[in-house]
Amino acid sequence: MESSLRPVAIVVEVIILMGVIYSLFLGVKLSALDFGLEEKYQRFIDWVFMIMGCLALVFFVAHLITFYPRLFS
Amino acid sequence: MNSLTRFWTDQEVYIMKVFLPIIIGFLVLFMGLLVIFALSIWWRHYRLWHLGKEENRSDQGATRLKTLLAVTFGHIRFWKELYPGTMHFLIFWGAILIFLGKIVRLFSYPVGLTNPPQDIFKYASFVSEVGGLLVIIGGCMAIYRRYIVRPSRLETKPTNTLIYSWGAVLLMTGYFVKGYRIAIIGSGVVPDWLSWAPVSYFISRFFLILPTEPLNELLVWHRVLIHALPAFLFFAYVFITRTPLQHFFLSPINVYFHNLKSKGVLLPIPNFEEAETFGVKEISELTWKQLLDLEACTNCGRCQDVCPAHLSQKPLSPRRMTQNLKDHLRREGPKLLATPQDQRQPEAIMEKTVNEDELWACTACMACEEACPVYVEQIIRNIDLRRYLVLVETKYSSEVRLTLKNLEKNNNPWGASRGTRAEWAKDLGVKSFAEVENPEFLFWVGCCGSFDARNQKVATSMVKILQASGIRFGILGNEEGCCGDPARRIGNEYLFQTTAEANIGIMKGYGVKKILTLCPHCFHILKNEYPQLGGDFQVFHHTQFLMELIASGRLKLTKPINKVITYHDSCYLGRANQIFEAPRKILNSIPGLKLVEMERHRQRSFCCGAGGGRMWMEEHIGTRINQMRTDQAIATEAELIGTACPYCLTMLFDGIKEKGKAETMAAYDLSELVDQSM
Repeated sequence: MESSLRPVAIVVEVIILMGVIYSLFLGVKLSALDFGLEEKYQRFIDWVFMIMGCLALVFFVAHLITFYPRLFS
Repeated sequence: MNSLTRFWTDQEVYIMKVFLPIIIGFLVLFMGLLVIFALSIWWRHYRLWHLGKEENRSDQGATRLKTLLAVTFGHIRFWKELYPGTMHFLIFWGAILIFLGKIVRLFSYPVGLTNPPQDIFKYASFVSEVGGLLVIIGGCMAIYRRYIVRPSRLETKPTNTLIYSWGAVLLMTGYFVKGYRIAIIGSGVVPDWLSWAPVSYFISRFFLILPTEPLNELLVWHRVLIHALPAFLFFAYVFITRTPLQHFFLSPINVYFHNLKSKGVLLPIPNFEEAETFGVKEISELTWKQLLDLEACTNCGRCQDVCPAHLSQKPLSPRRMTQNLKDHLRREGPKLLATPQDQRQPEAIMEKTVNEDELWACTACMACEEACPVYVEQIIRNIDLRRYLVLVETKYSSEVRLTLKNLEKNNNPWGASRGTRAEWAKDLGVKSFAEVENPEFLFWVGCCGSFDARNQKVATSMVKILQASGIRFGILGNEEGCCGDPARRIGNEYLFQTTAEANIGIMKGYGVKKILTLCPHCFHILKNEYPQLGGDFQVFHHTQFLMELIASGRLKLTKPINKVITYHDSCYLGRANQIFEAPRKILNSIPGLKLVEMERHRQRSFCCGAGGGRMWMEEHIGTRINQMRTDQAIATEAELIGTACPYCLTMLFDGIKEKGKAETMAAYDLSELVDQSM
């Protein structure tokens, strides 16, 4: 019988993956600023990463729903 | 199935096709990252420090190493505050344990430690588990403090949030990877992973709902993409960018090169006559160590929390000033390095990065240096900035102008006639040093004891004590000049040097060997700074002397003073010269006197507000520092405040009056109390 915990497992995976994505994007942005990127580009970068993050979220959710293993009770 | 292709919980994880190539690739890339790290230290840090002037901090390597090890591994300077100290200790040692366990397990497969798991592998596993738990506990404490409690001294930037989130992801995924491995072998656990990996074992129970084949797949994906790759990128971020986490190497370097001399000892301007400029105008005029201080500052804010200027709403925050100077260095340093020396036009520090109000607010009390866990030095830097303002730009307030003028003309800050310096002693039977046969001490009275009415009583008490004890002493009388402390702390190094050299000449002319001082500022400067100009004398503060007299029995205290007293530790007696016990022993020797301590006492004592030349400047901004200290004394419900410094006595005496407590509280110098008890 299929477990009702599959959505829970998928949500946990999504949280971990989005944590990784958030960290990576923020790390890239702060590294760019540290290496001399001007402050005036910060808003643009924030918007780009936000859009990319949303796309990543949609991708992860779709991918996990489709391919995450069937769980058994 | 070939055991060589299986891992420590006996699962199939494509060791030859996936696992080993990943590990080898990781190690090769990590070696490359270390090379980039070394280059980054040189390019982005070392070259900037090298912009600064020379300074010798290489002496006494063994002492420096001992301090480095004690501070780094024992966290001895962190425990002054229990919560942040514990939090950092847990995170630090947790990270070390994770690293140690990981290193063993990283190289365990090729040496046959993994299947079946050998003891060292199991211990390494346990060590990592414990390390992760310590980091989680410490991290939660840190997050709670930074985001919930939000103390005013903590400045939260996006990089702080990034470090917490990235760290949380790595910890979680690390435990998940081990959890997957344990889960793969099903509900039977061999060996006892509950003991060797308790956290991962707990997590593995949730994964039992997954069939084995998907578990293998999830394990590989998690390990590679969700744990190893972010871990590698985390190292890259820390090694290459100037994140606060770089304090892991910057702070130990700063601790190693910390000042081994007494605190608050200023250095002379070398080759004064030939020098083209004085003090510090722009960033490359600081020494390399002062530049390193700026980068080593972890922005923890402990200095701000103890700074009397900041706590009394002055514009000064030692933390903010250091961080602003760091930003200045990082902005201007690369420009200076890219320009030939004769074409450089560096930006001035004053007004652009540091403003005059915050600079003049400093009382040079050294509370910031005492509190700093990584030995950032602020006082010398502040005085160097003042030297430029005073000696080059002649930019200072009218109060400072008057004080300097008085010192120049009359050799005392009040401007009183030189010929009246010994007036206070005329009816006391005090001889001049030259008149005394085989004198034991020169009694250095100081300007306060000579000219200030309240402190003349202290000098009088001290004379009575010396005479009663049969000590052969003399004074310089009108030949005594100001020790030079106000001039030096204000930044007029030229006036200090001429004054000090004159004093040294006079004392050497009389063959002075031992000096007894009334004032900690005179004590500090005569003992620690006059040797820079050739004045080597044995210098004692009157509390050290009184303690010796009492301990040896030469002085007997018989009359009781039945009062409760609190003792105010003067900055230049306590923090600068570590004299804490002598005054307390004196007070405990006086019959009937009961000592209660203020909350901020000994090394954490709160300045009276008169140091750093501020005795001669009015406070126009915020609360008066002396009133804050008086409030702290009042809170102890003591009837007396004892002190051993004429500046502190004046400030506390005024503070008691200003607080309307003159009927119930009084301030005394310790020598006055001893005189009363004789």
